[in-house]
Amino acid sequence: MDAYIEPLKALAPELLLTAAALGALVLDLLMRGRDSRFVGYFTLVSLAIVAIILMNRIGDEPTAAFGMVVVDNFGTFFKLFTVASLAVVTIFVLSDRNESHHHIGEYYFLLLGAAIGIFFMVSTNHLLLLMLGLELLSLASYALAGFHKGERKSAEAAMKYVVFGGLSAGVMLYGISLLYGLTGTLDLVEMAKSTGEAMPAGLAGQLTTSAVPVALAMVLVLAGFAYKMSVVPFHFWTPDVYEGAPTPVTTFLAVASKAAGVAALLRFLGALFLGPDVQSVVAEYGASVGQLLAILAAVTMTLGNLSAMRQTSLKRLLAYSSIAHAGYILIGVATMTGAGFEAAMFYMAAYYFMNLGAFGFVLYFEGTLGSDSIEALKGYGFKAPLISIAMVTFLVSLTGLPPTIGFYGKYLLFKEGLDAGMYWLVGVAALNSVVSLFYYFRIAKMLFLKEPASGSVPRQPLFAGLLAVLCVLTIYFGLLPDAIQEFVRNCLLI
Amino acid sequence: MNIPPQQLLILAGILFAIGVGGFVIRRNLIVVLMSIELMLNAANLTFIAASRMHSTSEVQNLDGAVFAIFVICVAAVEAAVGLALVIAFFRRHQSISLDSLGAGE
Repeated sequence: MDAYIEPLKALAPELLLTAAALGALVLDLLMRGRDSRFVGYFTLVSLAIVAIILMNRIGDEPTAAFGMVVVDNFGTFFKLFTVASLAVVTIFVLSDRNESHHHIGEYYFLLLGAAIGIFFMVSTNHLLLLMLGLELLSLASYALAGFHKGERKSAEAAMKYVVFGGLSAGVMLYGISLLYGLTGTLDLVEMAKSTGEAMPAGLAGQLTTSAVPVALAMVLVLAGFAYKMSVVPFHFWTPDVYEGAPTPVTTFLAVASKAAGVAALLRFLGALFLGPDVQSVVAEYGASVGQLLAILAAVTMTLGNLSAMRQTSLKRLLAYSSIAHAGYILIGVATMTGAGFEAAMFYMAAYYFMNLGAFGFVLYFEGTLGSDSIEALKGYGFKAPLISIAMVTFLVSLTGLPPTIGFYGKYLLFKEGLDAGMYWLVGVAALNSVVSLFYYFRIAKMLFLKEPASGSVPRQPLFAGLLAVLCVLTIYFGLLPDAIQEFVRNCLLI
Repeated sequence: MNIPPQQLLILAGILFAIGVGGFVIRRNLIVVLMSIELMLNAANLTFIAASRMHSTSEVQNLDGAVFAIFVICVAAVEAAVGLALVIAFFRRHQSISLDSLGAGE
């Protein structure tokens, strides 16, 4: 009996989240028609409890549960990331003026369900659990994207998401099945270290005979991660889904879901190619996978930035900007070194502050003006100065200019890229940053340089406070990034 | 009857290709979802064939067979969510064609 109970302790955060998800659903039934905000507060409290448990785990020795779940600092970092972004998203839902608060319990249920998927996804070296976590996240996201199913754009967004999501799931599963067929195991660590003489055969034996089937399987599996991170050529869904989904859901997809994709990719590559007892032939193969990722990174950031320039809707612009940022993050991944992975994780942390802030602004602006077109921003800076100044800070950070956290994150990524000898890639990324300056500053110009329009903006003190905090943190960690860098280093995989 | 695993793998490859082809060519949302099911089943067949390939008379390697059961479950859930969204979509558009989905840039 103890053998079963003991590992359950390692799963405490997941179990608590499950309880919270069911609790939110039941609470909404009990509170029906009275105070829907209460369910939101309940979600916030349960997230806080999960966060405390996770904080206490930082620095612990890695443990395993049920042979599949790995509880280590790397996983805990991304779990904390998820919980922190979900807390902000919950506050967004609470302050969303377009939300009718009808069936609100299901909203929180799906958000928490998606978080459980992420939790399993980031804490396993086993392809079965990775796939199940990814599917749980995807399924909850489909329903969330179509949550306002009466609205044309929301229904369309969900449909597109489900069609492209199904395709990428099918492709990834076929890749996993090929990988299993080639190596005889689903455990990534096992796959990398087995010499190929005994069972399971492992990657090494296959690579010495022929690398072509491995390459095929690898490309198919990477497609699944590319879809979650919205990397070219699996980015088609991003602009439409980001635009059509309710803004808090867009925020969740842009921040937490993308981070989950990055985490799973880092763990997949880390366990397969950078582990302690990886066969040398496998590690060499990892370098060529890095080359492929470098090409994807260059294409992704260029396409994202160039498409963002033409957008007239703020949400679509941020969607293309998030595609471009996936490209920047891939620089760190493509180096295939521990330091490069660290830079990618740091950039994820930077991305948290600036993107939550930027989407928060979109939500506020949409709620007050009922539109997300960039034209409607004219003179908004004079009507809502505090929020607009915060937005300019986020834009500066997204561009990658000092003194913000975005600058330091980009600096780390570029430095690691140069250290790995990928000069061309860093050159492309630097050019891309200049291009991104144009469209980010078009927003800032609209905010402040045009004549103010008439009419006033209703106040939302809690929400404005949240944006102000995010803004201050963006600058604070930009000036003093050591705290986060230290934290990321402690949580590194290798 | 004993089918060699190689033939199963080839069949799975063909199924997967048909799935991808159907996804790209057909415009009907339900057929697109069916194509996705086909891809998932290609993965299932590969899993089962590989599981048999890697098993010896003494040691059974059942990882693949177990994975296939999970995939069947995931496929059912995806079909449920997908079809529910198709219905929501149909209510607004009176159509289940991908063409009415409004092409983004």
